[in-house]
Amino acid sequence: MPEVTIGWYIALSVALFTIGSLGVLIRRNAIIIFMSIELMLNSANLAFVAFARHLNDINGQVIVFFVITVAAAEVAVGLALIVAIFRTKHSINIDELHILKG
Amino acid sequence: MNAFGLAPLLLLFPAVGFILNGLFGRRFMDYDRKIGERWTGWLASGLALAAFGIAVLLYGSLATNELDQVTVNIFNWIVIPSSDFVVPWAMQIDTLSVTMMLVVTGVSSLIHIYAIGYMHGDPDFSRFFAYMNLFLFFMLVLVSANNYLMLFVGWEGVGLCSYLLIGFWFDRVDEQNKPMNANAARKAFIVNRIGDFGMILAMILLVWAFGSLTYDVVFESALDLFKEGQALNIFGQEVSIGALLTAVTGLFLLGAAGKSAQIPLYVWLPDAMAGPTPVSALIHAATMVTAGIYLIVRSNVLYEIVRASGETLVANLSINDLVALTGAATALIAGLIAFTQFDIKKVLAYSTISQLGFMIAAAGMGAYVAAIFHLITHAFFKALLFLSSGSVIHGMEHGHHQLEEDGHGDDQEEKFDPQDMRTMGGLRHKMRTTFIVYVIGALALAGIVPLAGFWSKDEILAQGLGNEGLVFITVFILLLLAAFCTAFYVGRQLKMVFFGKPRHEAANHAKESPAIMTAPLIILAVLTTLGGLLNLPFFSVGAVERVRGAQDSIQLELEEWLEHALESIELSKEVAGKVPILELPETPVTLELNVAGLSLALALLGLGLSMLVVYRRKPERAEDPDPLEKTPIWWFSVLPLNTLYMNYFVPAFNWLAHWLADKLDWEFWHDFFHDRIIRDGYIGLANFLNKRIDAAIIDDGIVNGSAKATGWLAMQLRKMQTGYVRNYALSVFLGVVVLIIYIIFLVK
Amino acid sequence: MGDPIAFIILAVVALASALGMLLGRNAVHSALYLVLNFSTIAIFFLILKAPFLFVTQITIYAGAIMVLFLFVVMLLGAERLGGEGSKAGKWQLPVSIVLAFLLIITFVYVLISGGDAAGGNSLATVEGGPVEIGLALFESYVFPFEVASVLLLVAMVGVVVLRTKRGDNA
Repeated sequence: MPEVTIGWYIALSVALFTIGSLGVLIRRNAIIIFMSIELMLNSANLAFVAFARHLNDINGQVIVFFVITVAAAEVAVGLALIVAIFRTKHSINIDELHILKG
Repeated sequence: MNAFGLAPLLLLFPAVGFILNGLFGRRFMDYDRKIGERWTGWLASGLALAAFGIAVLLYGSLATNELDQVTVNIFNWIVIPSSDFVVPWAMQIDTLSVTMMLVVTGVSSLIHIYAIGYMHGDPDFSRFFAYMNLFLFFMLVLVSANNYLMLFVGWEGVGLCSYLLIGFWFDRVDEQNKPMNANAARKAFIVNRIGDFGMILAMILLVWAFGSLTYDVVFESALDLFKEGQALNIFGQEVSIGALLTAVTGLFLLGAAGKSAQIPLYVWLPDAMAGPTPVSALIHAATMVTAGIYLIVRSNVLYEIVRASGETLVANLSINDLVALTGAATALIAGLIAFTQFDIKKVLAYSTISQLGFMIAAAGMGAYVAAIFHLITHAFFKALLFLSSGSVIHGMEHGHHQLEEDGHGDDQEEKFDPQDMRTMGGLRHKMRTTFIVYVIGALALAGIVPLAGFWSKDEILAQGLGNEGLVFITVFILLLLAAFCTAFYVGRQLKMVFFGKPRHEAANHAKESPAIMTAPLIILAVLTTLGGLLNLPFFSVGAVERVRGAQDSIQLELEEWLEHALESIELSKEVAGKVPILELPETPVTLELNVAGLSLALALLGLGLSMLVVYRRKPERAEDPDPLEKTPIWWFSVLPLNTLYMNYFVPAFNWLAHWLADKLDWEFWHDFFHDRIIRDGYIGLANFLNKRIDAAIIDDGIVNGSAKATGWLAMQLRKMQTGYVRNYALSVFLGVVVLIIYIIFLVK
Repeated sequence: MGDPIAFIILAVVALASALGMLLGRNAVHSALYLVLNFSTIAIFFLILKAPFLFVTQITIYAGAIMVLFLFVVMLLGAERLGGEGSKAGKWQLPVSIVLAFLLIITFVYVLISGGDAAGGNSLATVEGGPVEIGLALFESYVFPFEVASVLLLVAMVGVVVLRTKRGDNA
């Protein structure tokens, strides 16, 4: 059986990251986009923890702790924003938010 | 006494006057008309008098300093260290420049005072005095310069002031609604420019050849090269000093022709009479137009080197001959044209051109002292004549206003020209003071002994007769004829203006001018009378012998004074057995009785003839034809003269006068030529440059084009801002991917 | 770093749930797929000897954050909001796929060219338990810790502000 090296984890992280970014770019539903962003954050967390294990450093996990904190705060505020926007536009299709068109 | 340190004040005073009057004059005027006039006028005149005071101090300092030249350096203007080229802003205080300063400031002060009265009531009073002070400043820069470039600054400056002052009443239009004053000013400026072009070329040649524009350096280098017979290397050609100086002096002649109104550039001066009379007196009689003569006299060394080197330009004529002939021809032709003029100022204008011709001819013949002497006396009596004519015009205008107020309605439909001599007459009863001073001036102009004009004119004539050579004789004859013409038109003017009966009601009501105008006239009349004392020749051979016994060389007073500045005189003298380097044509020291007698006789003849022929029948109205057109032959048969001779002589003379009147027409045609070809060509070129190049290429193409390109680019870039968040996210992602690829693949 | 088989199974689940989230038409389905994904990641944390993070991930991410998402989805009725016509330009989809592809390619290249991280002995490992995390937090990272708490405070305030309409006293 081949050993699970750090590369496997990085590969997985990259794959999840790509899927997350595709979600941001392609989907029109604002909440789905938000969720894709969370997916990207998670893939980064995975990479951090993998490296913490690989390099025998606790700091990687500490960073993940902070990332999770920040992600929580961000989700709260972001969803509040989406709700606020929904109040006026009655739609969460982000393609309808193009007032700043140059 | 040493007042040389004060020399820069000479330039400072008029400059201050210009600035003060220019900036604050209007406020004085708006505050209170009368006080304002008094303040501005006397400020300007006071500063002119202060400049005159400085000139007197400089004269005193020079006189007690053995008449040696002093240079007062103010600051260095242009410095090119690599080629050792320095043009300083420095004043040269020597006898010639002090003479000019005295004349310029003295006459200018008198004219300033006169102008306070003449320009009374004019809404642009302060602007006038600002310009007059500016003119004085530039003229003093011109005469006090120690190098050609500073002289040129003054030269251009007086040209500018001439433009400003001729076109002083710039919104005056004539019947066809053409701005005649502005056109005249522009004409003066442009014709002057042609002369300036010659000056610039000459200065460039001087810099090429001698590497400096300072008088002393140029003269010394030229003399050294002449003595050693070396040739210069210019543009790869070997050029002898004589040939180079021929070019330089010829170009100076061009400049002088422009500034001093010689053939062919005199056309601006008659038109310049559109300016106020004090302007005509100051600029076009006494000071600016003499700048050309000053230039030639100052460069006397260069001219004498040309004469000594024998370089001829065309038809065996050297530059000196050309100068002399130009002057003489101008003198005669202008004198003849003056016969047919009806405007009192135009007669004086042509007279000025004629007298300037005398001075230029004198300079060409090598009689530099005589030229300056005539310049001084001419300044006196011509200014006097102009100012008196201003007084006459003033009187006529006053009479005209009187008529309008009294309601003499029949004359009012026609346009009244206060300067038209045909409407004058009999003014000697109405304007006594003006009449007396005018007669003094007129007689001086005609050259009647013992007034100033006689002595100076005679010296010039004697120079012509006393030297051998075809050119000298020709010049003598031309000048003699010109002197006769001068006397004739002067007498004609006297007759038409002052004698006989008034030909127009306005003349009947003319009044004498106020004291502020007549006082300077009287002062000038005194100067005119006594001016001859400056350079009186010795009256007898015995006196000459007496003086000759005392020292090696004898000179007349002015000559002795000026000699310290005119090096060519010194260089041409045989001192202690040294061979003279240059040879000046002989200047007479005794009163040449034949010349004096001849000129005096011609002058009296001219005066008498004019008195008889002009307006013999005392026509009642101004519209009567000039009797010059009709030959009063029957009258001459009374005199014990050969009537047959008169039958031929008088018609021929009339024919000449008429031909010149046609020439006057031709003159307009000449102007027409100037108008069409030069002016229209220039305007066409300017329009072409404006529309095709400036508007189309530069404005539309470059300026607007770059704006449009920027706008187009911005429009294109604008399309990136779609407003959709997803597109922005895509751009971010694109950037990230590019960076990653770059880091991973391309960064080693 | 763990058992390969476990890794493979968990990886497949993670990827599948991620794709499910991406392609789901219904927002609630997408959220639930994401919960599954988070749980998988949490198990990975456990495998990688980070038990504290395992718990944290489940509690906060899968527990709080996703619940919040579901609340909002229910609130806005977003499950019914599908996609109308795409208005953001027709290049959006193709270019995104190309870019994602490039990213993957880059990574594969790195992996193949031996970009394996050096170091890493699997012998002396650090257990990411609460004690170790706590020690690290309060010794080296005190300041970021405090800042994070302030950040949470700010987020709370922000949410309240965003909720309030103008003129409300809520």
